[in-house]
Amino acid sequence: MITNILSDLRLYRYLLITQLRAQAQYKMNLAIDIGAYFAVTSLEFVGVLLYFGPFPTLLGWKVGEVAMLCAVMSISFGFAEMFGAGIDAFPDTIRLGEFDRVLLRPVNSFILVAGSDFRLRRLGRITQGCITFIIALRLLPGLNWTGMKLLVLVIGIGSGALLFTSVLLLGATLCFWTVESTEIMNILTYGGRDMLSYPLAIYNQFLQRFFLFVVPLAFGSFVPTCYLLGRPLPFGLPPEVAFAAPFVALVFAMAALVAWRFGVRHYQSTGS
Amino acid sequence: MLPFYFEVARTAFRRQLIYRWANLAGLLTNIFFGSIFSYVIIALFHARPVVAGYDVRDTLRYTWLIQSMVMIVLTFGWYDMMLTIRSGAVIADLSKPCDFYWYWFSREAGRAIYYLFYRGLPTYVAGMLLFGFGAPLDWQSWLAFPLSLTLGTALGIAYRMLYNSLAFWLLEARAMGTMFVVIALFFTGSYIPLAFFPPWLAPIIKWLPFNALINLPAEIVLGKVAGSTLLFELARQALWVVAVTLLVRAVIALAARRVIVQGG
Repeated sequence: MITNILSDLRLYRYLLITQLRAQAQYKMNLAIDIGAYFAVTSLEFVGVLLYFGPFPTLLGWKVGEVAMLCAVMSISFGFAEMFGAGIDAFPDTIRLGEFDRVLLRPVNSFILVAGSDFRLRRLGRITQGCITFIIALRLLPGLNWTGMKLLVLVIGIGSGALLFTSVLLLGATLCFWTVESTEIMNILTYGGRDMLSYPLAIYNQFLQRFFLFVVPLAFGSFVPTCYLLGRPLPFGLPPEVAFAAPFVALVFAMAALVAWRFGVRHYQSTGS
Repeated sequence: MLPFYFEVARTAFRRQLIYRWANLAGLLTNIFFGSIFSYVIIALFHARPVVAGYDVRDTLRYTWLIQSMVMIVLTFGWYDMMLTIRSGAVIADLSKPCDFYWYWFSREAGRAIYYLFYRGLPTYVAGMLLFGFGAPLDWQSWLAFPLSLTLGTALGIAYRMLYNSLAFWLLEARAMGTMFVVIALFFTGSYIPLAFFPPWLAPIIKWLPFNALINLPAEIVLGKVAGSTLLFELARQALWVVAVTLLVRAVIALAARRVIVQGG
């Protein structure tokens, strides 16, 4: 068991290094890509900032607080996009019938899929998230940083990245049956990201419950941010649930992995 | 020659009809994003009743109008022409006995008409049902709207071809293309209504070509532009259509003279 996991990790590391080397070949292109992606994501954030010209608060949330939420979201989503690129590209693997080849190899198929792509250009979003974080800190001088808060921030970002990667995996799993059109999953990934870049409290009860208890993406952004800002959580949840984020994320990731295994067993090649 | 271009547009329209499920998924995506923005807007207007002459109902209508028109005017992630340049297939289109620009223009016009009926209208109706903001019913603005939307669409096609023709010089221009589209969407009100931009920026963004893409048609429907201002705005929009179209044609002519086809 342990040796299996170790050899899987070694294989994954090898695949990542291959990807990095390949992408570093076209340095100019890579620089343009990262720069363009940074510009695009920054503009998204400027769009949020501009609302606070005419409006003082968003349902009681001040501009700095929303900026903090956006920062946490950008960083965790950026990591998920970077590491989950192979999973994200999985529909093509299925459609072209290439998954047959993957299955023939005597190694863990999940590792091969996850390691099949790694997008360095997503650094653009992560950079934007870090700059947004600094802006948020400037706008919120009264934030008393403690070791606990720092811990919540780190595990929050990690959990968020894991949660979004799991959503990507669920989307990829769906392809075993639908072959195409996981566009609907974009609602959960990109839609979830955009939705949770704003305070969860502005949405209706159903959506709030959905993102807390069904697809618990809020544990990667809203819940830890509320802990940092000392804001109450909906449904009378105690702020300390922020520490539960890694467990929530792990349980969700395990569920996604079980679904994936189930999908692999029911895979029928497209044969085209 | 005109019947030929008409036929090209009709074929593009019919090709689009095949992707029924993809369109349904896209429609749901539009509705979802429209809903997110709506919740944000409703929450913001708790703090102030009116901003820059927009109340919460106006702003909701504006947001859903933009959501409805995005696919018609400026399709996100459109690299069709760029991909033909990269694969070398562009040479077949360049040697067709018709004008290269009007060939692509007709194709995209056909798609735009498809999106008007199968994406734009359903999106707005869905928003209307979800958030109950109704529709503005001023006959004058509804008379000017089709003209303004047509001009906006023509400008959108020209703009799309402009960043696609970057591929004649760059090997991989998709990231640049995304940036072009995001900048255009930002300055045409798809992230935040143009009316909410800082006042000192207003004169600049009104003169940018992006204003003529989606923002102007939306403001016309809302009755924010009327009387002599309406005529002025339509003239400015037409001017941008002509200017950008001429620019793209010049760029394509320049590229066609020195094009080196890749692939085989």
